[in-house]
Amino acid sequence: MAPSASTANSATEFVFSRTFEAPREDVWNAFTQPEHLKHWWGTPGSSIEIARHELKAGGMFHYRMKFPDGRAMWARFIFREIAAPERLVWLNGFSDEHGGLTRNPWVPTFPLQTQNTVTLAEQDGKTLLTITVVPFNASDEEARVFSGGINGMKMGFGAGFKVLADYLAQPC
Amino acid sequence: MQDQLSATFSALADPTRRAILAQLALGETSVTELAKPFEMSMPAVSKHLKVLQRAGLISRGREAQWRPCRLDAGPLKGAAGWIEEYRRFWEQSLDRLDKYLREIEAARTKSKTNRSGKKSSKTKSKE
Repeated sequence: MAPSASTANSATEFVFSRTFEAPREDVWNAFTQPEHLKHWWGTPGSSIEIARHELKAGGMFHYRMKFPDGRAMWARFIFREIAAPERLVWLNGFSDEHGGLTRNPWVPTFPLQTQNTVTLAEQDGKTLLTITVVPFNASDEEARVFSGGINGMKMGFGAGFKVLADYLAQPC
Repeated sequence: MQDQLSATFSALADPTRRAILAQLALGETSVTELAKPFEMSMPAVSKHLKVLQRAGLISRGREAQWRPCRLDAGPLKGAAGWIEEYRRFWEQSLDRLDKYLREIEAARTKSKTNRSGKKSSKTKSKE
């Protein structure tokens, strides 16, 4: 990393990708159909209850995520672009039970919504999925917090900063 | 008053401050040493250090005249924990998706085999 004096308030992206041994159509369906989403969306042990799922531009996917420890929280997508079977864009946010936006419960200054873009590319029967997350309509502070979080991720857990990761792994 | 995670992430947004933290992870050091890799005036470096100090990420010793800077791991660990959760949400969701897609594929292969393999299974049961 080149030291620089610039203030990092520019849009930082969170990007990662994964290849699935499945046809693109299947991956698309798994991402866009409620009966499939129920089977995999969320960390292991969690489950979702779907209150609403309208796959159209401006439509909402509103769900409640339940965790193994009994906690539960509402979240929502607002779909922006639906181009089957290759590109899905939505605004991602936490919500209340009525679908109204709420702040990130852990980091209140995290952008209220992020824009998430999933692209699917087919390669020899396999599917390369790429997810890009950027802040949406964020204030300067929200953009800074997002950037710090994402760059902190790169710093602490990327190969270049193994030392810091090790340091942080030590008991206090 | 900002919450700790917001303060930490806000401080981490600047590349110079991230580089300073990475340097301090190697051990405590003086402001002069810290300033060396940067083409930056001492006051500019001090300003970054103040931000890091206010966010509770570093502290300055009082025991020596050069007042060494050191990393305070607590808040950084908190931030790292949250970051890890965020990353893990995606990683683990996609792990589950991978598993689910394999199940779909396996079910599809099985139903195909069942349809085309009825005769052979009959023969088998006679054996």
